[in-house]
Order: sequence, then C-alpha cells, then structure tokens
Amino acid sequence: MKNEKKNCSEEHLLFLKKRRRKLILIWSLRVGILALILGLWELSTSLGWADAFLVSSPSRIARTIGSLYTEGTLFYHIGTTLWETLVGFVIAVALGYGIALALWWSETVRKVLEPYIVVLNALPKIALGPLIIIWFGTGSPAILFMTVLVGLIVAIMHMLSAFIATDKNKLLLLKSMGAGKVQILTKLVIPSSLPSFISMLKVNVGMAWIGSIMGEYIVSRAGLGYLIVYGGQVFKLDLVMASTFLLCVLAAGMYFLVVLLEKVLVKNAES
Amino acid sequence: MKKEILRFSGVKYTYHTVRGETVAVEDLSFSVRESEFVAIIGPSGCGKTTLLSLAAGLLVPSEGEVTSRGSFGYMLQKDHLFPWRTIEKNIRLPLEVKRQNTPEHRERAVNLAKKYGLGEFLQSYPSQLSGGMRQRAALIRTLATDPDILLLDEPFSALDYQTRLNVTEDVSEIIRSEGKTVLLITHDISEAISLADRVLVLSGRPARIAYEHELDFEGVTNPLKRREMNNFSGWFEILWKELNA
Repeated sequence: MKNEKKNCSEEHLLFLKKRRRKLILIWSLRVGILALILGLWELSTSLGWADAFLVSSPSRIARTIGSLYTEGTLFYHIGTTLWETLVGFVIAVALGYGIALALWWSETVRKVLEPYIVVLNALPKIALGPLIIIWFGTGSPAILFMTVLVGLIVAIMHMLSAFIATDKNKLLLLKSMGAGKVQILTKLVIPSSLPSFISMLKVNVGMAWIGSIMGEYIVSRAGLGYLIVYGGQVFKLDLVMASTFLLCVLAAGMYFLVVLLEKVLVKNAES
Repeated sequence: MKKEILRFSGVKYTYHTVRGETVAVEDLSFSVRESEFVAIIGPSGCGKTTLLSLAAGLLVPSEGEVTSRGSFGYMLQKDHLFPWRTIEKNIRLPLEVKRQNTPEHRERAVNLAKKYGLGEFLQSYPSQLSGGMRQRAALIRTLATDPDILLLDEPFSALDYQTRLNVTEDVSEIIRSEGKTVLLITHDISEAISLADRVLVLSGRPARIAYEHELDFEGVTNPLKRREMNNFSGWFEILWKELNA
C-alpha cells in the first residue's frame, strides 16, 4: 500500500485523507458517547442527583468486580456461564446443522416434520422451565438443555432454508455431470451455504446467551445469570449491573470470534 | 455420411403438477450425426430445455425413445462457475464428479484451458474474470471430461451483444477444432445460422419438429464471416417466417 501511495494522484491522496478523517471522527464519537454516558452516570450519583443504591455507578461496578475478584469467585462465575454458553452453542449448531441436512435429504421427512418445527419454534422455551427442573435437576445439565433448546430450532430453520435455496441451475449442471446426492451435497449445497452458516452462527451467539442466562434464572447456583437473580433478590444492584456489564463484554467477544471465523472462511464466496 | 450419435424417435414428455398436466414435447423425432453442429430454434416456452434434459438423460420420455452413443457435456445460459473454487478447480469439477480426477485427466483439462487462453487465470476466482472469459471457462469445464456430444442451452444469451459475438466466435472455433458433436438450443435466429450445419425449427407447445434445413455456406464455419455472406439474410428471412408461422 505504501508504495502505491507514492505514485498516486493528489486527488487520490485527498480521498484517502478524507476517508481517514471520517474514520477518526466515527471512532472518537463512539468512544465519546461511552465516556459521556459513564461520566454523567458517575457524576449524577456522586452529586446525589440519582440514588446510587438504585442505579449503581461505574465506580461501584468496578469495585464490585474487584471484590468478586479478590473473593476468588469472579472467574468461577464467568467460567460457569461461559462453559454452559459455549457447549450449548456448539451442540445446538452441530445438531441443528445435522438435522437440517437430514431434512434437506428427504422431502418426505421434511414435509412430515414441518408442523412440529413450526410449533417448537413459536413455543416460548421458558414455558418448559418446570419440566426442565424436574427432568434435569438444578445443575448445569438443565442449563445446557435450555441453551440447546433455544438455539437448535433457529439453527435448523436457518440452515434448511439455505440448503433449499441452492441455485437450481447449478444443481442441474451437477446432475448433468452425473453427480449423485452425496456429491451434490459436498460439492455444492454445503459450500454454497457457507455464508448462511456464518450468519446462523451470528444469530446463535445471541441465542446461546439467551438460553444460558434464562437457564440460570430458573435453576442455577452459579454463573452470571445467577449473580443477576441473586443481586436482584437481595437488592444489590451493583452486583446486577456488574454482571450485566461482564455479559456485554463476553457476548461481544464471542460475536467478534465469529466475525474472525467469517473472514477466514468466506474469502472468495462473493459471486 | 457419418454415423448417427443421437436419435429421438417419437418422443413425448408430459409435466405433471397438481393443477394438471402439460405436454412439453410430442411426437419428436430427429437425429444428430457425429461431429455435426445442429441448432434447434423455437418460440420461447416451447420446451427447448426439456428437449436437452431428455437428450442428456436427466428426464425419461413418457413415450418414445432417446438413444445415444457417447457421453454428454451440458452448458447452460450462465456460466455457473462456483465462486468458491478457482478456475482450475472449477474446470476439474466434472472430473471429480465422474471420479476421473487422475493426474492425466487433470493435465488434459489444464492444457485445454491453456490452449484456449485461460492459462494465466487458472488460480483466479470467477469473480476476477470478465463475462466472456467466464463463459469460456464454462466451456472448458464442459470439455474437461472429453464428452462426445455437447448440449448447449442458450449459452450466450446472458452476455451483452459485443461479448456475445466474441464468445460465439471463440466457442465455435474451440468446438470445431476439437471435432465435437453439438446440439445447440437458442431463440436467436442469427446465432443459429452463424453456427450450425443444420437448423431444426420447433413448433409451439407441444414442441415437434416443424421444419428442417441443411445450411450451405460453402464450407465456411466462422460465425462472423457467415454473417457477412450473401445468403445469411436469406436464411434469416426463411427461419423468421417459419418461427412466426
């Protein structure tokens, strides 16, 4: 890039400069808004405009996280929730992908199961809370089950519609070469649905967090969802806010990993 | 007279949907000889693509019989190169499907690509090529398994006029020099005249052969030269009338 810069026109240099300025502006506004919110929050509580007991404050959140750390329970709670979320995410994605493949494979099975999937998709999974407690007890298995349940149907529906949307003419082309169903699957359907797979992962990152936190609300004795419920019950809103903040960071980190994966996988998928 | 390589005898094909049945082709009989370039023209929606699918064995006739000696290569309207594969891997696709992905076959395909000007693009992705080059790559992919009969389904209609003339020129030269038998389906009368040895005119649905012409251009096979010849417009007029009859 640097070598190119030497040979390019004044106009192009100006264009690059403008672009850089715009980027700097966008980033400084982003950071500025965050600083403004945090500053006003802190200021309003320290000056007594708002009750820090009810709305907490950035410094109290930082202190809460610090004390969780010194108590030695910070990474225990983070780890518990993270593990439940990640394992649930992987199971939901893998199982959903597999089931979507099976449904793509057989039109009859697909037609038979369609109403069941539609109903399961529409059902609010939290309604199954009591059943889950009775079936799986009050530990991690129950939360995992909830996480998988929330993500699975979305994964199936997302991938199935991508598989079915495979270009009819490309299918015809492969068939004219004499391709069987397995070859059609491995050479066309799976690679051409890669962008949909990535977007499904992005959606399911959110789903996995919904599932794990919802699960922890219902049954858990550890994890960030547990801290939020516990903090609410004993009116420790600092704890609620601190856990919510940690959730934001973790969810953003997981989403970022998927975006990285996308950059590695979808280099040449534009048609 | 050369041997017959493809024959339709009394072929009928019916599509079934919940709303009813549609006879796409009926009582269709014709044959194609070895190394012959046959163009089929017909009004739009008359079942031209059905006809190619029948020829390739992708559809089984409801009545009658399709017999062929030899293997097929199918080329569609758009190039349908897979965007996630390089040109070389796209060209290799039919070899993989037919389990002929041996070093010799691969080399043959690559040499074919080099011979027809795709050498420098082998490691490029389709999105980096122009429309004309992509269609050329699609032809090389069709030729990779060395098929005896090429089935071309309006292979130029998605290109702009300028590119279409050039690609037609290209494809014609490649096909003639490889000595392939071709069955071309098109709705473009001048394309048919500029390329084919013989033109079959289909009737409206259900399609059957309405007219048949042996084109005589004194041995000239180059599409652009044919377009400049005196009898070109004569043929155009005849076929135009027959298509609109």
